[in-house]
Amino acid sequence: MGNKRSPYLMFWVVAAVIFLFFFLKYVSPRVFQVLMGKGHPMPTPSTLMTWYIIMGVLAGLVYATTSNQKFVDFLGFLLPGQGPILKLFFQKIFLIAFPLVVGWFVYSYSLPGAASPVELRIQHPTLPQKYEKLENPFREKDADTQRRCIEEGKVLFQTYCRPCHGSKADGNGPFANSFRLRPINFQDPGTIATVVDNYLFWRIKEGGPGLPSESTPWDSAMPAWEGDLEDEQMWKIIMGEYDTAGVMPRQREKTE
Amino acid sequence: MIKLFKNKVINFSLIVFGVLAFYKIEVAKAQASHMFRTYKREVPQKLPENQNAIAEGKKVYEKRCWYCHGITGGGNGPAAKTMFPKPRNFTRNEFKVRSTPFGSVPTDEDLFRIITSGIEGTAMPFWSTISETERWQVLYYIKTLNEQFKKETSPEVLTVGNVISTQESIEKGHELFKEMKCYNCHGEDGRGNGPLTVALQTEWNMPYRARDLTKAWNFKGGNTAGDIYRTISTGFNETPMGSYREKLSDEERWSLAHYVESLANKMASDVVVKVKLLEGAEMPEGPLGEAWGLATPMEIPLAGQIVAHPRLWEPSIDAVMIRGLYNDNEIAFLIEWDDRTNKQEEVFRDTVALQFPAKIPESLKKPYFGMGDSGGMVNLWQWKAYWNEGFGSAIEAPESEPGEIVELNAKGFKKISVQSPESQNVEGAGIYNNGRWRVMFKRPLKTEDEKKDIQFEIGKLIPIAFAAWDGSNSDVGSQKSVSAWYYILLEKPMPKTVFVYVLIAVVMGASVELWFLARLRRFPPKLEEDDQE
Repeated sequence: MGNKRSPYLMFWVVAAVIFLFFFLKYVSPRVFQVLMGKGHPMPTPSTLMTWYIIMGVLAGLVYATTSNQKFVDFLGFLLPGQGPILKLFFQKIFLIAFPLVVGWFVYSYSLPGAASPVELRIQHPTLPQKYEKLENPFREKDADTQRRCIEEGKVLFQTYCRPCHGSKADGNGPFANSFRLRPINFQDPGTIATVVDNYLFWRIKEGGPGLPSESTPWDSAMPAWEGDLEDEQMWKIIMGEYDTAGVMPRQREKTE
Repeated sequence: MIKLFKNKVINFSLIVFGVLAFYKIEVAKAQASHMFRTYKREVPQKLPENQNAIAEGKKVYEKRCWYCHGITGGGNGPAAKTMFPKPRNFTRNEFKVRSTPFGSVPTDEDLFRIITSGIEGTAMPFWSTISETERWQVLYYIKTLNEQFKKETSPEVLTVGNVISTQESIEKGHELFKEMKCYNCHGEDGRGNGPLTVALQTEWNMPYRARDLTKAWNFKGGNTAGDIYRTISTGFNETPMGSYREKLSDEERWSLAHYVESLANKMASDVVVKVKLLEGAEMPEGPLGEAWGLATPMEIPLAGQIVAHPRLWEPSIDAVMIRGLYNDNEIAFLIEWDDRTNKQEEVFRDTVALQFPAKIPESLKKPYFGMGDSGGMVNLWQWKAYWNEGFGSAIEAPESEPGEIVELNAKGFKKISVQSPESQNVEGAGIYNNGRWRVMFKRPLKTEDEKKDIQFEIGKLIPIAFAAWDGSNSDVGSQKSVSAWYYILLEKPMPKTVFVYVLIAVVMGASVELWFLARLRRFPPKLEEDDQE
């Protein structure tokens, strides 16, 4: 066989799992921060973290049992006897740490928790029927009129929507921090780019209070603009909003 | 003999390791929030400044900037009406964040930095999202809007190094803060409430607000010691904040910067306010009671109320701090926020309100965060600063007057009712001191009016929301600063059983381990080849 004996195999497996933990906890949030161009680290969700760690442990065990030699070495780490001083040192640490880690898990699970509650909500509830057939009166107009409408819409957007949704329509307006249900980032391809433009008309007109209860209307700071803005102004805002965010509305399916 | 020595070495290093690990865990607990931007200082390679770049910059300006800064750069774009602070007027030399002397125009790099990072606490976004080329082009265009850029070609530029803050320099900075009369504008505790600021704001109606130096997130152009040193050295053009380059030596300006840095707090925010149990003790007597020090403070960011008409687009209160305590019978909250003045008028008075659902929600469903709705009533505790003078007069609420507390209910913005006198059971008081309001609310945990009053329960997440009015900002009615729903949690004392569970777990873990070891030693793992030999 000619395999090298490796008295530290168990140590390396455990070290790799610990490394994985620190990587997920401290390094990967920074990596994602850079990759996604965010101004803050992006923490790894705790459920993902648990799964990654479980996979890491399994991978370590699979590796340790790839050959009999490895498995013997793996368990041999815990055997008493002569070995380098470093090995005995880590052996003791493992033996002491194991019951403590178990105790710590029990402790942290039985603490009276102050975790914030899970607030599940549906971001895109179904569009009410009465809005389905609506058409943007300016979409079919000539190019000049359209350009004027977009510009008027952008002015309205910057005046009334900007404090929360931000000048760039990125959901980073100066008021954004205060609403725990953060204003929507319209540049995100998963938001206004996935819906038809009458969906936005409904959202602007009825705001948070017009949402069905599965979309937690009580947390939404989106005003119902009906009464403060004319319908035509809302259509213009929608055109300006898409333009500011740099995305296009979803095209309606042709039903004939 | 050698083995004995080996064991000692191992045991000793284990102890050292354990101590270090414990220390590390303690350090890791302190975490900052990431709600606010960081200012980037690095500037990339410059683009050549020519007619072509300016023409391209004009396109960028007319696509992204003019809505606030105006088509001619006058700071009067159509969107400016819903903002405070107002956008910069580029035709005047109002440029604030500069490395050039007071009154000079900024360098290209200064402009590039501000375009890249924006300004926290204002509507100016970070434009790191557009290309560096576009940023250079647009700033070259902005320079054409002001003649002064042509006249001043090579201004003297301040280089910001790095000087480490020490206790000594902070103390020296504190002395300089007094000597240079910084408190005249920034206030004695740095809350931006100096007499000059107050006079400019209330009597002259000027837009200048000395920075609240305790709020690190609002510092224009960054809150590191280097950024503060730059501001002290070069000043803010067209504001009362002058340059201290002539008055103070380089070292002194660093000391002052270190002192200001030591005043600045980061916002410590979270979702759940932990209300601490005062076992068998009395509630603090007032807002200044010592027991408040036991509660963990939490800061809640506020925004202008924009849901219902009339809206508040220009809020002046951007955060309140809350602490909570409870004992067997009562619960109390302390709400603190910074306010530059204590001026009260009949209509415009400093006010703060807590909002709870009238009943703890059984499910996810809550009343609407803005004063409830027809399906969900809220319970409001409102405190108002003292005012009891003649028509039209403005007074400062005296410390002896605690203000008044009212308990209300609401089912929407327009359906507000004051509770009957027998159901008014919230007590409390407010004190204004050195630029900060401290208001205490206190109520029994349970009341008789179960329909309209929130009944507090230990260990349950109870929604809470906040509103605050600044009288001197003409806040009144629905024109107020508001928050979304947060939660309070009356903390359960740690049950003794936890330690039993932990002990059982440790013993079980150890037994499994010992059993495994014993087995391993009795039947050491061997290779099959070994068996055959």
